[in-house]
Amino acid sequence: MSSAGLLLAAALFFPLVLAICCLSARFRARVLAVVVIAPLPALAAAVLVPEGRFAFFPAPFRLTLVLDQPGAILLGGAALLWSAAGAYAASLMARDPAAPRFAIWWLLTLTGSLGLFIVGDVVNFYLLFTLASLAAYGLIVHEQSASAHRAGVIYVGLALLGEAFLLIALVMLSAMHPDANPQIRSVVAELPASPMRDGTLALFIIGFALKMGLVPLHVWLPLAHPAAPTPASAVLSGVVVKAGVIGLIRFLPFEAGAPLWGSVLIGVGLVTAYSGVIVGITQPRAKTVLAYSTMSQMGLLAVLLGVGLDTADPAVTNLTAYYAVHHMLVKGALFLGVGILATTGGRRLRLALLLTAVLALSLGGMPLTSGALAKLATKPLFGYGWLAGAMTLAGAGSTALMLHFLLILRRDTAGNTAGSPALWQLLPWLVVAAAAFLIPWSLYPAVSGETVSGLLHPEALWKVTWPMLLGAVAMLFVHRLPQRLGAIPEGDIIVLAQAAQPVARRFSDRIGGIDAHFRRWPVAGFVLIALAILLGGVLMLQA
Amino acid sequence: MTPLVHATTPGGFLLVLATILPVCAVLAILASGPRSAARIALATFAAGLAVAIAIATELISSGKALSYVVGAWQPPLGIALRADGLSGAMLVMTALVVVAVGLFAHIQHGLQTDAGGGRAQTTFWVMLLALWSALNAVFVGEDLFNLYVALELLTFAAVPLVCLDGRAETVTAALRYLLFALIGSLLYLLGAGLIYGQYGTLDLLALAQLARQDPALAVALALMIVGLLAKAALFPLHLWLPPAHAGAPAPASAVLSALVIKAPVFLILRLVLDVAPPQAAAIAGQMLAVLGAASILFCSVMALRQARLKLMIAYSTVAQIGYLFIVFPLAAGSADLPPWGTIAWTGGALQLVSHALAKAAMFLAAGVIAEAFGHDRIADLGGFGRVLPISAAAFGLAGLSLMGIPPSGGFVAKCLLLTAAVIQGNPWLAATILAGGVLAGAYVFRVIDKALAVPTVPIVARRAVPRRLECAALALAIAAVLIGFVPLRPFGFLQIGRDGLNLAWAP
Repeated sequence: MSSAGLLLAAALFFPLVLAICCLSARFRARVLAVVVIAPLPALAAAVLVPEGRFAFFPAPFRLTLVLDQPGAILLGGAALLWSAAGAYAASLMARDPAAPRFAIWWLLTLTGSLGLFIVGDVVNFYLLFTLASLAAYGLIVHEQSASAHRAGVIYVGLALLGEAFLLIALVMLSAMHPDANPQIRSVVAELPASPMRDGTLALFIIGFALKMGLVPLHVWLPLAHPAAPTPASAVLSGVVVKAGVIGLIRFLPFEAGAPLWGSVLIGVGLVTAYSGVIVGITQPRAKTVLAYSTMSQMGLLAVLLGVGLDTADPAVTNLTAYYAVHHMLVKGALFLGVGILATTGGRRLRLALLLTAVLALSLGGMPLTSGALAKLATKPLFGYGWLAGAMTLAGAGSTALMLHFLLILRRDTAGNTAGSPALWQLLPWLVVAAAAFLIPWSLYPAVSGETVSGLLHPEALWKVTWPMLLGAVAMLFVHRLPQRLGAIPEGDIIVLAQAAQPVARRFSDRIGGIDAHFRRWPVAGFVLIALAILLGGVLMLQA
Repeated sequence: MTPLVHATTPGGFLLVLATILPVCAVLAILASGPRSAARIALATFAAGLAVAIAIATELISSGKALSYVVGAWQPPLGIALRADGLSGAMLVMTALVVVAVGLFAHIQHGLQTDAGGGRAQTTFWVMLLALWSALNAVFVGEDLFNLYVALELLTFAAVPLVCLDGRAETVTAALRYLLFALIGSLLYLLGAGLIYGQYGTLDLLALAQLARQDPALAVALALMIVGLLAKAALFPLHLWLPPAHAGAPAPASAVLSALVIKAPVFLILRLVLDVAPPQAAAIAGQMLAVLGAASILFCSVMALRQARLKLMIAYSTVAQIGYLFIVFPLAAGSADLPPWGTIAWTGGALQLVSHALAKAAMFLAAGVIAEAFGHDRIADLGGFGRVLPISAAAFGLAGLSLMGIPPSGGFVAKCLLLTAAVIQGNPWLAATILAGGVLAGAYVFRVIDKALAVPTVPIVARRAVPRRLECAALALAIAAVLIGFVPLRPFGFLQIGRDGLNLAWAP
């Protein structure tokens, strides 16, 4: 195996080996110190391995790892965020007796979420997707509060449902393929000719939409992300939701296109983007506002992918990955920032608030930030029709939501006593914040095919500035609305699901009643004889 | 067409050894008294495991079925034993589970200090060995009456295991089990009699060639299949299973749930695939699949409703057995592809084996939990993962296999069955498999959630449990996970020795 292949393999297996080493109690006691290095092979692979390299492991593993451009972009950003958040967690939880347990879930989730960006075969994609989904449960419930537990249960329930949709989609995708564990690339190329094409695409979209938090399958996201400890919120909202994005990138047939499903994704994405803003702006907790913002941004990514599917444009995968890495780093830095701000006071608080404000407004597309770059790079996709207008309006909405977030932060930190955060919490935050600026700038020419100098053109600056002003003005009005805060509960439509609980309870009781009935002697005896007569009769009619 | 006859193959005596070795051990225990019972049983475990592995190796190296004609008397006068690939897999699986359960029971018996446990222990060893012999006889039997004897021996060995502790409720459960199983046996015997009257032979290989569409065979098949369903406890004939499997001591529950109910399922498989003419097989297959699907959905919900861990696992058994019955329509072969060449056949066999390992692991883990805390109420187990990390891990790994999450045997099985359902365009069965997986996820998660919880008042063990006891469950769970590494395609080993039986399916 070449050195590139070895590095790819290390990216996947190094964190897994660290997790397995936790079987030793001595290692487990110190595992918190190594979570920061766990994603480093992945980071090295993203930077050093040339695109298009792959590694293949023969039976019984039958694992293929590939690095392509969208995968490399996402892998690099994700590894950086995992590492920084790991350092933050190590400092935050140094005295937490449950920290080793947290670290094990952390390493497992990390293995799954980073592996997804490089895995190239169907079965191992499903395996890593499952690992990332289910291990995240341990991160969500770590604080063991009643609300965290509720969030965890809802999360696992929906995650299992998503697994089922994904499994049947993968089976339908590869059922006709001669190889039992085919390469994703080759089966997806055959998909447009498959008789089950529409069903497969619909199931893929449902399965991955659940992971991304698209309406109406988003209910777990605003509950789960804020419930986790701060560094875990950062990676859940930054990286783990991208499992759905990479899934759509990998499994939708962008070469051939599918206009119907492209339109569906655009529609669902826009609804998600707007409803995330509308519900988020009523939330009184900073972390919940960020979670709703994540949901809204995932909606925008869905629109991007929908446009690519609609117009059969494979280039959209790179642009989506670019947009996603911007959101990944910014959202990670914002979540870490919430933790930093809570422990900061005095003059430093103002500096920290300023940096947070820049990061937050970057999501709305503030000029010269990664947000503006992402918006400008993807703008040509939307043309000049209603879709471009709708996306601009969504940018204005993001600005309004982020202003709301900053107002909450100012309120929350007003009473902070003078103090400064621990160095090993501050440093990771600054690293992620810096990466959120530098990585999108350095990738811009390669992804958009345009020069960086074009970004400084006044026209380009104005293009991203006016939606922000629009959002700011909108916020001025919304701010005055009475009884806005708390008007919609966290998880919004989950309340409807809870109203259905008595119905489910009655159904379950009904089943219990039927079971008790069948388990009575006369009934069981009658059923036994009836079955014999029925089977005998049918067989005799055939004879 | 030359009629197929049984001929003793090299290594055929291994089949005899597999059936009579445990019986000899029972006789030795009865002769030498209770004090050496455990020692004799443990020695037999080693020998029996070696025999099972030898049979599997012989099957692989020769690539043909093993046969043994007892006393060189050809059927219909004599009796033949035969092991093909599927039988070989069953034999090895049985040996593995019996050995793990036996070791668990041996360690557990060592913990019991109170007097009076000695008799129950000796009974346990005798019944376990008798049960093993009966299971092996079912898996290698070729003669319908011989199989009836093996089934009866199985029932009579299994029923005392349910009520080893002699409490009133377990005795009631055991009687329930005994009565229903006897009704099943009667139906089976009636069917076997009809077949003998019609064809003059009870040999399965001979019947495979003679069987044709006629009313007598139809009635006989219906009686035998339904009788076996009663013993397999498929919904809605499961009245006896939950109290019996939940009430028995943990090692007994493990063998009952993992192995005993698999014997009738195995026989139904042989009747439908080998004896029934093609049209009849198709119809019976459809009906069994409907019952199987109902079993999966209904009993998974029931498992979710249970407040006690062992009852939950027992209901899960009825649900998981359902998967074995939806195999029938999915594995329907065609002229150029016999049923055992299909992926559904491999999926069904893998489901059978991985469920046996996973379910035995779960019951043993539940036994450790009950031993440590003195109860198995799920609601009061918050934080048990702290106290019993190995058992919690065993339960979790076994749960992965039941849920069908990779990498595990259950995942490969469900993936193959799903693929078969998709290829055949059978959306209802595909949806049932998926729904069963989600429901299994829900009931397994209920327990895992309790294991990981950190309650305000930490749970304390009533008595310390040695690590060794927990390891048996973990080993079985790991075995269930390792089956997940077999390739996702028709598995050659399961097809060994099936070629000769192609006849019933020839157009």
